[in-house]
Amino acid sequence: MISVVVVDDHALLRAGMKSSLAAEFDIVGEAAAVAEAIDVIVSTRPDVVVCDVHLPGGTAADVIAGTIARGVSTLFLALSVSDEAHDVISVIRAGARGYLTKASSAIDLDDAIKRVAAGDAVFSPKLAGFVLDAFSAQLTLPDVDPDLDQLTPREQEVMRLLARGFAYKEIARRLTISIKTVESHASAVLRKLQLSNRNELARWAADRRLF
Amino acid sequence: MGATSIPHAREAPGGRRWQWPRLDREQRWIGGVAAGLARELGVQPIVIRAAFVALATVGGWGLVMYAVMWVGFAFTTSRAGTEDYRPVPKASTPGHRLAGIGLVTLGLVLGFLPLTSSVFAVVVWPVGFVLSGMLVAWTRADDGGTIAVVRVVAGLVIAIGGFSAFVFTRVDLVDAVVALVLAGAVAVGIALVAAPTIVRMGRDLDRERLERTRSDERARVNAHLHDSVLQTLTLIQQESDDPTRTRRLARRQERELRSWLYGTSATTDSGLRLTPALELAAAEVEGDTDAIIDVVTVGDVDDVDDLAGVRLVPLISATREAMWNAVLHSRSARISVFAERTSDQLVVYVRDDGVGFDPARVGADRRGISESIVRRVQMAGGTATVRSEPGAGTEVELSIPISAQIGSAS
Repeated sequence: MISVVVVDDHALLRAGMKSSLAAEFDIVGEAAAVAEAIDVIVSTRPDVVVCDVHLPGGTAADVIAGTIARGVSTLFLALSVSDEAHDVISVIRAGARGYLTKASSAIDLDDAIKRVAAGDAVFSPKLAGFVLDAFSAQLTLPDVDPDLDQLTPREQEVMRLLARGFAYKEIARRLTISIKTVESHASAVLRKLQLSNRNELARWAADRRLF
Repeated sequence: MGATSIPHAREAPGGRRWQWPRLDREQRWIGGVAAGLARELGVQPIVIRAAFVALATVGGWGLVMYAVMWVGFAFTTSRAGTEDYRPVPKASTPGHRLAGIGLVTLGLVLGFLPLTSSVFAVVVWPVGFVLSGMLVAWTRADDGGTIAVVRVVAGLVIAIGGFSAFVFTRVDLVDAVVALVLAGAVAVGIALVAAPTIVRMGRDLDRERLERTRSDERARVNAHLHDSVLQTLTLIQQESDDPTRTRRLARRQERELRSWLYGTSATTDSGLRLTPALELAAAEVEGDTDAIIDVVTVGDVDDVDDLAGVRLVPLISATREAMWNAVLHSRSARISVFAERTSDQLVVYVRDDGVGFDPARVGADRRGISESIVRRVQMAGGTATVRSEPGAGTEVELSIPISAQIGSAS
């Protein structure tokens, strides 16, 4: 069974999430703030951490950085009520494997946790939209390493379909490729977002007054 | 655009900085000093040239001034270049300009006609008037910072100088009258120089304080709402005992708060904005149903200025119709709306994963799609496509072209 730690500063929301996840997952811990979350994750070593973006004492990005600094690498799924591009992109760049809005249903969350645990990326339509935005803005910038910093036409196509609300299965059917291939495209996009030149992304964000 | 051809250029956005004058090489007769100065003052170059000539005939002052300015302007031109130089007339009102020129002239005249032998009359007054005149002419009404300080200091020096001259110089009657006249001129000069600054500083400080109070208040409210109301609403949305009612309520409230928090108003001074307009339409459709509509936009869709109004409105109404169709007929709980601006068009997709239908079998009497969606988009010069198959959901694609010029300008 996949072990999960739930990090959210609202006790009620934590309780709700735990009760809806308990049937399928092993909830090994919970935390309400950044420092506490790092301690819990380091001591319990869960498969997946479901983490709110905004926490007392910092953000999910700080939790991710903190656990990495303590030598623990685990998989993060970010969850937020905020749809702001700044929040989403910064947490993804810190290393989160996916992003869902809290309005997502319990089934979405179950699905997403399993997918993250399997090493895949989880794109909500919102995240796909932000990613498209980020990379299309980068295309106009000079000195971009084309292999690293741009999406291939196929990846763009996958992102666009994700943003239009298609599930992986439907995307595979439309593009007549396997679901595995769709998943590998999504993972590649996530990797590019995490590895791409910091300065350019910062500029992209600055242009939109996100930081 | 030749910057030199517009001596009265309006201030460009972001160009509010005070800039030193530069040589105007394009309109120069000799070095470009007169033309550069004219650009600074917002007058015709010929006026300045005439002044230089006139002054040159009176004791050579014009030549000296021209030489000094040439050196100065050449320095600023070589140091800062002319690329980001915006020739904004520094004296913003005609009265202001006239006062500046008048003071400079008065100073020069005083320099030629020493009325007394005292050092004040020979040096202080002419120099003081020339300096204050230049300051009046070369600073703009909305300047702040060092220039304002220099102006005030110069004014004070003149005033104190005048006062001490009046008190400590032993004067006879004629000199006293002259001194009184001079003192009066000084007072007028100082009033001209300092009054706008003082008034403006007071106003700026008030405005700044007000703005700080407002933004503090707003930050506080934002933080509070973000942590409490939005979270609680989401919680209600997820697990309530009366799902239908509270979910509708929560969803609507969430939208409302979100748009308030992030200030996404559908209409602004510059017209309609697509993203908030789509959000609003989605909220309206959602409001009376159980559906959840996700709106995702990519690209600077809000900056499509040439589409404002006339063409955006039909696109948005067509999108709203498509959302309604999805909500009413698809039996899908989740509807995705995706809008993207590419280099040459604006595309909106409305998609559900519901029951779908066979487009070929829709009767000609069913006018919902053709009238309300296709026609509307066609009126805006665009196209609409409906893709669906039984059991595999429905997607409506709406696109309108945007001019390549606008697209590439972003």
